[in-house]
Amino acid sequence: MTLTRRHILRIGEGLVLAGLAQPHHPLADEPVEIRMQGNADGSHVWFDPVGLLIQPGRTIRWINLDPGNSHTATAYHPQNFEHPRRIPESARPWNSDYLLPNESFSVTLDVEGIYDFFCVPHEHAGMVGRIIVGHPVSPPADDANASGIPEAARLAFPSVEEIMNRGIVRRM
Amino acid sequence: MSFRFAAAIALAAFALPAMAADQVEKAPPSGAYKKVSELVKLPDFLPGLGQLFVDPKTLPAGPFLAYDRDGRLVSTVYMLPVEDLSNKDKRFDDLAAPGGKVDHVDVYFNAGHPGVEKPHAHVVLWHVPKADESRVAAK
Repeated sequence: MTLTRRHILRIGEGLVLAGLAQPHHPLADEPVEIRMQGNADGSHVWFDPVGLLIQPGRTIRWINLDPGNSHTATAYHPQNFEHPRRIPESARPWNSDYLLPNESFSVTLDVEGIYDFFCVPHEHAGMVGRIIVGHPVSPPADDANASGIPEAARLAFPSVEEIMNRGIVRRM
Repeated sequence: MSFRFAAAIALAAFALPAMAADQVEKAPPSGAYKKVSELVKLPDFLPGLGQLFVDPKTLPAGPFLAYDRDGRLVSTVYMLPVEDLSNKDKRFDDLAAPGGKVDHVDVYFNAGHPGVEKPHAHVVLWHVPKADESRVAAK
């Protein structure tokens, strides 16, 4: 039997329970899934997709599908290990804590803007991702708050333009 | 008489290291070793490595002792941060090697994990033949 820990957090509105579907092609009210993955010897780890465009109010669900490692989904924010803020100013930061294989964590994003997140033990290996909610009006976060971010992570963010054009960005 | 005394001391000297050495062949190893999955949030059994034990004082390098699902020692693993390996002022000297005979060695890059968060090299001293690496493979 596989145990699955489930966390649901609604940014800006506190804790809310929500449905836990596992869609391949999510409907508007279903969570959009971001997979935490790694290869067999742990030499490569990644979020899939690495870039995502959603509308306000959508729920993102991270799930660890890496059988040999733990991962986190952690917002770039001073509250999280004093990292620079790379989410909208009025949005609440999140940190999933370590997710073991098959555990998941969900966040609902209501505030429009650009959200950058990372995996705590793998930021130095470039395991980061970016979600764009709605139509951001502020400049790309990487122009403003890149200091203190490992080079491998900084180079791994898909551009805002790429996400806006493609909707989903995968790099596997 | 003095010869017997000297012989007894000599025997004791040979015997002492064996008595003092940690038992590592079967999990859990004795001494200061702790199960890695109880020190940090990692799966108890890591596919490709096995069940790991480490003396926390030796982090990040280790040695990590790796066991199969039957609790038999299969390898000793050292985890060496890449940034340390490229630092001319950093050395890893006198790392313990309690696992005994080594059959072969693997060295490969690892992106990181709880406990050793920065990218590092795994140096794996296998105590079993290549064919027996399957004892720690994913199910």
